[in-house]
Parts: sequence; C-alpha cells; structure tokens
Amino acid sequence: MADLGDAREDTLLAPIAQTGRGFYWAVALLSVPILWGVIAYSVQFYEGLGVTGLHQPVSWGFYVTNFVFFIGISHAGTLISAILRLSKAEWRRPITRMAEVITCMVLFIGAGQILVDLGRPDRLLNVILHGRYQSPLLWDATSISAYMTASLTYLYLPMIPDIAILRDRLGKRKLFYSVLALGWTGTERQQRVLNRAIAIMAVLVIPIAVSVHSVVSFVFSMTLQPMWHSTIFGPYFVVGAIFSGIAALIVSMIIFRKAYGLQHYLKPIHFRYLGQLLLVMALLWFYFTFAEYLTGYYGGEPEEMRVFWAKFTGPFWPFFWVMVLCNFVIPLICLVRLGRRTIGKVLTASLSIIVGMWLERFIIVVPTLSFPRLPFAEGIYWPTWVEWGETAGSFGLFALFYLLFTKFFPIISIWEIREGREVGLKEVEERLITYLPDEVEGKT
Amino acid sequence: MERPDSDFNRLVRTLQWVWLGAAILLVGGIISWIIHLIRTAWELGDVPSASIGVSLVAIPIFLVLVSVVLYVFWGLRSDGRER
Repeated sequence: MADLGDAREDTLLAPIAQTGRGFYWAVALLSVPILWGVIAYSVQFYEGLGVTGLHQPVSWGFYVTNFVFFIGISHAGTLISAILRLSKAEWRRPITRMAEVITCMVLFIGAGQILVDLGRPDRLLNVILHGRYQSPLLWDATSISAYMTASLTYLYLPMIPDIAILRDRLGKRKLFYSVLALGWTGTERQQRVLNRAIAIMAVLVIPIAVSVHSVVSFVFSMTLQPMWHSTIFGPYFVVGAIFSGIAALIVSMIIFRKAYGLQHYLKPIHFRYLGQLLLVMALLWFYFTFAEYLTGYYGGEPEEMRVFWAKFTGPFWPFFWVMVLCNFVIPLICLVRLGRRTIGKVLTASLSIIVGMWLERFIIVVPTLSFPRLPFAEGIYWPTWVEWGETAGSFGLFALFYLLFTKFFPIISIWEIREGREVGLKEVEERLITYLPDEVEGKT
Repeated sequence: MERPDSDFNRLVRTLQWVWLGAAILLVGGIISWIIHLIRTAWELGDVPSASIGVSLVAIPIFLVLVSVVLYVFWGLRSDGRER
C-alpha cells in the first residue's frame, strides 16, 4: 500500500525531493579542502612519507591523532542513540538518525587515516596475510571491523520504514529504494520483526562501541612508553570519545536545523538536554585527566616527568593549556547556566570541545614519542603542508559524505516521529503512572 | 502498482538477494581472515592462544550481526510476499 503520509513530513522529504543552490555551493566549498587533501596524498604517495614531518623518534603525528579523534567522534552515534533508545528517552526521536550517520561516516574516515599513515597502502596486505594477534594493532583492526559492521546494520535497520516511505512517495530512484526497503509495508508482523532486531542491535552495539575505544587506547597503554602505560587509558579514551561525539552531534544538528529548516523538529529542549549531557561529560573528562596527570606526577618517575613537563611548561604547553581551556573552562562557562540563547551557548561549547578533543589526542600521541624512554635522539614534530592538507581533506570528506547522505535519506527518522505522535504519547503517560506510588483508597 | 511477477519486481528481488549475498560475503570474509590468522599462529607456534582468545570474542559477534540481518531479511520479505 502506498504511503501517503502527512504534510508535516514534507520538510523532512524536501532535501531529497529538491536540490537547491545551497547544496551546490556547499559541495563546491567542501571540494576545496578535499582537493587539497587529494593533492597532499598524491605527493605523499609518489614521494613517500619523507614529505611529512614524521621522523624518528616521532613516527606518529597528525595521522594517528586524526585516527584516534575520528574513531572517538564515532561514539556519537551508535552509543548515544543506543543508550537513548534503550532507556526509552522520548526526546531521542529526531536525533538518533543524525548520530548514527556520524558514526558510519567517521569510522571510514578514521580507519582511512591508518592507510594514509602507512605511506605505502599496499602494505595493508601484510596485515591481512601475516597479521599477529599479539599486537593490539590487530585487536584494533578486528574491533573496528566489528564496529563498522554493527554501526552500518544499526543505521540501516531503523531506516527501512523511511526508505519504504521514499519508495512510495518520492517518485524517483524507485529501484534503489525498493531494493533497500525489503518489501516493507508496515504490517504488524514486520514491525515486530524490525523492533526486535533494532532492540538486539541497540544492546549489542554498546559493548562493541566501548570495546573499540578501549582497544584504541590499548595501542598506547600496552607499551611501556612514558605517560602511555596507564591502566585508566581505556575508560579515559571512552569518556573522551563520548564527549567529542556529543559535541560533533550538536554541531551537525545545528547546521542541518538551519540549512533544512528543521526548527520544528530540533527544538531548544533537545539542545538543552544534550548540553546538560555535555556538561556531565566535561566534568568526567576533567576528572579522568586530573587523575591521570596527578598519578604520573606523584610517581615522579624521571622519564614520565620529562613528558609531563614538556606538556605543562615545555614545547607543548600551548596545546596542553588550550586543550584545558577548550575542553573544560569554555564548556563550563557556556553550559553551567543554560537560560536564554541555549543553542548559541551549546554550539560554542561544542565547537570548543571539538578543537579541544583533537588537541587532547595530539597531546597524548606526540609528546611521548618526542621524549622516548629508549636512548633515541629526542625530536620535536612539525607537520608539513601535506599533513595539514590530509587533515583538512578528511574533515571535508566527512562533511561531504554527510551532506550526500541527506540527499538520499531523511536525516530525521520519519517513522519514529510518527510513532512518537501516535503511540509514544500514550506510552509515556502509562509509564509515568507506573512510576508513581499507587493510590490507596480511603487514606489521606 | 506493479504486479507481483512484473519484471520490475523480479529485478528488485534479484538485487535484494545480491545485497544479502554481499553482506554474507563481507562477514564471511572477515571470519575467514580471523581463522587464517589463528592457523598461521598455530603453524608457527606464535602464541596461538592470543589469536584464539580474540577470535572467541570476535567471531560470535560477527555471526550475531549476520544473523540479525538474515532475520530481518526473511521476516520482512516473507511477510511482504504473503500479502
């Protein structure tokens, strides 16, 4: 049966049905950093890693920083969406799709950084043919593959009813939508099957997401390098990942709200709740950072202290203190009192956190390698235009992928909003009654 | 509306099977790769316990993922066909 829907949903279908001039402008704008990235990578591919600032002892720089950063951002989606879905938070409905898309896009960009860092991408074949599972790098490859597969599944399943709506209402790309809709007609049985599958995926995806960033941290903490060999690196990385993920989600919500006129769907209340979540994560991040640095400082081990002081007052001090400013001070000022101008405050905090979390990843990766425990020469890392270009290209590519997604699929889940209107309201009322104490007749 | 046996519907069904085949191939490929790493570690006596430990967690996860996809594929398509 064809889905005739509701006029209120036209706003959500409009970006797919028509393409305005703004879209082409955005693509043109994003092409600039992408082109820079392509040129940078081509030069690196032909000349080798010598054109970058990477050298001994600092063999990991921007690329590994980007890898950790993008994999961290990926926690936006799946984890936040799964937690909100499982806890039946009704305000999740217009948010989950955006979060899930971020996850899938940045996972590909993040994993791609390793390919760039290899210098010669054909060497990836060695990992496939001769990999050794004693290496945490292989644990990473496995857990990221699992996370990618799970995230794609978790993105796709809740999209099926919306794809069927597009198949019935759009009048273009009929074959494409018909294949992906899997014959969805919205029967009771189909809804039962889909809801069960989404629930399984929501449960499954949380431990996978947590394991991914724990395993990313193991790449560092399993070595005996100063300020890497830490038992709290797993949870510290996971907290940072969720923190940066929420910030990225908020920024994308604000951009699409403005670009596609989604003010009726993404209301200040959504930003208020996400802002409060962001504030909690800022405090948690500070707690972990404080615990990590205090433990290192109190131990006073000479190699640890060299890296410690390099971050606090040495050559890396600007990065370290800007990180503290961006990840803690600015978010605290913006988010502690969300009165008027909620969206502006939340956006400022989120942009600041995105910068701060990138710096945090940089501060973890580079100073330790600059002051190694082994008797190598010390060295400071300066990225060249090639690394800057690749980094700009990665951000541009992520934004372009995201934009292209919105031209094929609704960025806000249509059926979940419908479900909220038709079933959610009643469900919340019934649930609320079960929370309250039972009325006892005859007592006052 | 298209007849159930129209060329268009036949093409859609074929492409859905191709789509499912690609998903199974992807997961199957990853599982084969993990098994290959265990076999290599075993043959070289290169700490096979690490490979077995990791694969004991990883392989079931991939199997669950592909099972969920199969469950949805069958659940949705069979109901759509019955109607």
